Amino acid sequence: MKRLVVVIAILLCSVLSAQAAELDPAKAKAEGTATFYANITAVEPIMEGFEADTGVKGAYTRISTSKFIATVLTEFEAGKLMADVVQAPLPVLEILKSKGVLASYSSPAAAGYADWTRKDDAIQLFGIEYVGLIYNKELVKAADVPKRYEDLADPKWKDKIVMANPANHATTISWLVGLKETVFASEEEWMSFLKGLAANKPMFVASFGPTPAPVESGEKLIAISMPKYIITKAPAPLDWARVEQPLLGTPRAIAVTSKAPHPNAARLFVDYWLSEKAMGILAKDVGEYVLAPGVYPPIDGMDKATVMPIRDLSDEEIRKWGDQFKAIFDVQ
Amino acid sequence: MDAKRSKLTFSLILIVGVLTVCPVVMLVIGSFSEGLTAFGSFTLQKYVEAYTDPALAEIILNTVIFVLGSSTLATVLALFLSYLNNRTDIPCKFMFRIISIIPMMIPHILFSVSWALLLNPSNGLINLVLKQAFFLDHAPLNIYSLWGMILVEGLLDLPIAYLIIAPAMASFDVALEESSKVCGASPLRTLFRVTLPVLRPAILAAFILGVVRSLASFAVPSVIGMPGRVYVLATHLYQMIATGFSVDYGKAAAIGMSVLAASVTLILVYRALTSESEKYVTISSRGYRPTVIPLKGARIPLFAVVALLSFVLIVLPVVVLFYTSLVPYSMVPSARAFSLMSWKHWIEVLRDPISLLSLKNSLMLGLGGATLGVILSVFVAYTIVKVRTRAAGILESLSFLSFSFPGIVIGMGFMWFFVRTPLYATIWALLIGYIATYLPYGIRPLASAFIQVHSHLEESSLVCGASRMTTMRRIIIPLLVPGMVSGWILMATMFVRELTLSVVLSRPGTEVLAVQILRFAEDGLWGRLSALGIMMIFISTILVILANLVGARFKPMEGGG
Repeated sequence: MKRLVVVIAILLCSVLSAQAAELDPAKAKAEGTATFYANITAVEPIMEGFEADTGVKGAYTRISTSKFIATVLTEFEAGKLMADVVQAPLPVLEILKSKGVLASYSSPAAAGYADWTRKDDAIQLFGIEYVGLIYNKELVKAADVPKRYEDLADPKWKDKIVMANPANHATTISWLVGLKETVFASEEEWMSFLKGLAANKPMFVASFGPTPAPVESGEKLIAISMPKYIITKAPAPLDWARVEQPLLGTPRAIAVTSKAPHPNAARLFVDYWLSEKAMGILAKDVGEYVLAPGVYPPIDGMDKATVMPIRDLSDEEIRKWGDQFKAIFDVQ
Repeated sequence: MDAKRSKLTFSLILIVGVLTVCPVVMLVIGSFSEGLTAFGSFTLQKYVEAYTDPALAEIILNTVIFVLGSSTLATVLALFLSYLNNRTDIPCKFMFRIISIIPMMIPHILFSVSWALLLNPSNGLINLVLKQAFFLDHAPLNIYSLWGMILVEGLLDLPIAYLIIAPAMASFDVALEESSKVCGASPLRTLFRVTLPVLRPAILAAFILGVVRSLASFAVPSVIGMPGRVYVLATHLYQMIATGFSVDYGKAAAIGMSVLAASVTLILVYRALTSESEKYVTISSRGYRPTVIPLKGARIPLFAVVALLSFVLIVLPVVVLFYTSLVPYSMVPSARAFSLMSWKHWIEVLRDPISLLSLKNSLMLGLGGATLGVILSVFVAYTIVKVRTRAAGILESLSFLSFSFPGIVIGMGFMWFFVRTPLYATIWALLIGYIATYLPYGIRPLASAFIQVHSHLEESSLVCGASRMTTMRRIIIPLLVPGMVSGWILMATMFVRELTLSVVLSRPGTEVLAVQILRFAEDGLWGRLSALGIMMIFISTILVILANLVGARFKPMEGGG
């Protein structure tokens, strides 16, 4: 009898959870809002499109990467997580998943995406925070534009480079390590590139956000930055160096939260986010590199570039490499 | 101490304690807890990691130079400007009064960026002009240095110092100076032997508030220090917590504890230095009216000096901001740049619903928060200055508690606290957090004003049968109007541009201006950022003018004879 009750309970639970996983647009509309915590910027056009197309309001809270885990976990532990959907670099969502913050959801909108973008039953990758070399096309002659990453070590770039601080900016650290693992033929070549770059005394800023301005104004000539600024900062005289090697970046991920206050609206939002329409907006208006098949940012030559995700680095690895780059780049 | 005073002191300790202690307690717990949130099993690991960094010694030296340099610059400039504005017949006083508090209204990140545009060694405008004028090969000035940081932070702290020193200067009893002159002292000797010593509490308050503020400052060290590879405690903290994805604010809080200890020590030093408060009383039972010192031949040269100083130090960066809001991207001024100018960024901001909501929320928080904050500050300042018991000392230290913490850390303390209350994610959480953190901005100018009001005035009123509330309302408060106006301006302008708490407490519907500005900064949208920044300055200027007008209405009540 006891066993029968357990079996019935399990069956009932699985039926209920299957029902919960099914998306009901009417219920989503009744819930009214999908709250979205994200570190990605300039996504207002998608939020507006979501409301116009579905009748559900998209409420967006920007949380920087450095505050993401602390904020979400604090709310979650206090039973007050307001986010229905979270978006952040993949390692952040993996940490949140390990703490039970994420729910299983496989969006039908991701059906056409490559298999490697479905990280697990909860996390879906939709883009790559791609890093490239952007330069001032009015001040840098075509012949001088780097053709390989190694060219940045040329002394002609002394005092002319701006980059995020390689001692602590997680994406820059991951990018430098990614170059070692996927681009440079040997560790010696990579190390000589690093030392050459350090000898050129790049100006350090806190993150990618402040990197384009000194290049636009001509204060510096080249930045280790994101090619998306060519779109968002138009008509600034920015272009990207079409290096022979691949572009690398941290994968951008999205997931529904396990205690989403608006679970139907949450799934509706993820479906919309992953749709070709929303990804098209992200690529066209924001210059993001998205993983929806056939969608590219309108940056000349980007559809032909090889853009690769960087291997996930644990926080311990990032700190370890950060310390090493601190010494190489003479950061205090 | 009588029972009523004791009751008032303990009620205030309770109110201020709840406001400021809760987030700090959360940070203390977090600094001793394993894991990434406030609660976890006990560990000392975070302290060990935080304090065994070999770079710490040099960072502390840089921090001391930066903090003392910028506070000294702010205090000296404020003293100079407030003396000329309040005590002399220098022309255009009203304009200078507004100009000296303009940096208060500008988001610090924008102010720092403007100075980088003016003084960077590659194409900074001032450097370009100097290079051309003196046929130099290299830029003579480099903002990305310790002196650059001191200059910009000093200017940002100038309004705080000005708004504390100016009311004390305004209510100065001229009889003291006249006595000095009658005894044959020169004006300069009178200034150094009489005027400045009497103003000691205000000067010290301004200096100490500057020290505490620059210790917690992040914008200048990150925008100007980091590119020059000059690291201070704030950027060290940032580096410590920003490496990796799972940021440990408990570890940052561990370092923050030394900043807190330094701040509390400073408050104690300040209290000891001003312990004989009777020495600083200048408004007693007689009427007083600060007289205006004729500058005679020095009037125009001094006016020129102040005008030039105001232009170079304050107007020019604001002009740079306005220029940035009109050009399509970061450009050095040129014929082409002027031909491309448009209102595009302004239109985009005015069409953006979140920017408009932010304007509304920030205005509400500025008006409501500053009013409530000043009311609380009047009672706290009264207790600190006039009661002066051990309990009053505790109250004073409590009022500085959350203010003394580095900005990037205290916000997390507030979040850890508010998430356990129904106020989380409401505008009220922001309002309470603002008042709790910036209470010293209200208390300091009021305390230096209170110090100068003799207790005989209060005692006379009580002897004549008036209640304490009536005495406060009819006698004390009218004499405190300059201090209240200063406190209100400091709080209102601070609340309009507050970022540190807002960035962690703001949720959909409670967006505020600084958070929206930060969004633009992270997207690198300097044009929109500058447009919204100018709007913020405009709103703050209106608030300042309103406060001055309200203050002026009470002016006749100050005079006596």
